[in-house]
Amino acid sequence: MSSTIVFILIAFVLLVLFAYLATRRTRDLPDLDRTVTAIRSLDMEAFRNLVDPEEEEFLRASLPAQAFRRIKRERTRTALIYVKELSRVSLQFARFGGAAQRSPDPVIAAWGKQIANSATYLRLRALDASAQLLLTAAFPDLHPPLRSLLEQYDRATCLLLNHNALRRNAIRFP
Amino acid sequence: MVQWYKFVLYYLWIAPHALLPVVSVLMLMRRLHKSFPVFFLYTLYETLGFLLRFAAYEIGPGPWYRYAFIVTLAGSTALRFGIIQEISNHVFHGYSRLETLATASMRWLTGLLVVAAILSAIYSSGSVSDDLMAGIALLSRSVAIIQAGLLLFLFLFSRIFGLSWHSYAFGIALGFGVFASTELAVSALHLTDLTEHSKDLLDLLPTGSYHVSVLVWLGYMLATEKPVGAATYSVPEMDQWSGELERTPQ
Repeated sequence: MSSTIVFILIAFVLLVLFAYLATRRTRDLPDLDRTVTAIRSLDMEAFRNLVDPEEEEFLRASLPAQAFRRIKRERTRTALIYVKELSRVSLQFARFGGAAQRSPDPVIAAWGKQIANSATYLRLRALDASAQLLLTAAFPDLHPPLRSLLEQYDRATCLLLNHNALRRNAIRFP
Repeated sequence: MVQWYKFVLYYLWIAPHALLPVVSVLMLMRRLHKSFPVFFLYTLYETLGFLLRFAAYEIGPGPWYRYAFIVTLAGSTALRFGIIQEISNHVFHGYSRLETLATASMRWLTGLLVVAAILSAIYSSGSVSDDLMAGIALLSRSVAIIQAGLLLFLFLFSRIFGLSWHSYAFGIALGFGVFASTELAVSALHLTDLTEHSKDLLDLLPTGSYHVSVLVWLGYMLATEKPVGAATYSVPEMDQWSGELERTPQ
């Protein structure tokens, strides 16, 4: 009887989850204001400095080992906050691209597809970077390779700008 | 049999199968049979399967009905796995990098769910009678574990990465999610010692949930897929966004 209760509980939780996902879907429409605010709040230059290997080498050379580890931990924790925010922004990008993908205009649809694809890859990179930064916070001597995350961020934002410029030109010079 | 029970049982048995051909026709009208061929086949198969079972039941609810039930259930179960694969193809289509990760994760998850289903079947086998229907309930529960698990994975994975679902694919998956979850509870209850009265009442639950699933499919097939969000943004708004991005330090 105990296993039956477990299965009934699992089934009930699943039903609630499916209902929740169905209701959330209508509320999860991409919000331009939220995306812009999220992009605005990201200071990418500060993040680049935080994860710059050259700066890390400079700190390692000029600080005693214990002080370096303490500072590296603090820098890693701060970088982790940035990566989490970046991950959140990439989700907004992905939703925005996904919505554009369903446009009846084939140009916007193709643009949306590229943005969505790039954004999901950025999200994947951000999740990977979060895991690596967590490890680095525990073991400060590790070097998490975050260059690909930054490159992917640049790629996603450039894609967005280029396609919007194309769209503008298409409207100006049909 | 009490009159109201007979009425409800027949209603819940006939109504969803009367609505399924409407879903098939809507799919044909919207040319969705090309995008979702397995689901389209499923709607036709379920309608024909119902006619066969209903005919066998009217002749006499004996061995003929049982055979018809088992044969149609086997085909239906196989088709549902095919539909989950079809939905997965739709969700990850175009996301080349993510597709590899999703496919590998789904394979691992299927393996884990199969192991969980087998273990739970072994655990329950001692307390289950040798009756054929009890065996089918055990198998149904195992299938429900795997199908509900895979559908939940699809929903959660796509949510984590912000993937957008076509409303038709979402509706199909949601309908199956509701059905698989109820099936899990019902098949688990069928394996316990229930009175005849309780068994009769329990029979209403899967047909009722199937009715809900068919209504979900019908609702999503009737609703037109609207282009949302970015597609409707005007150029000045997009320009404002561009401006914000250009100000972001690179």
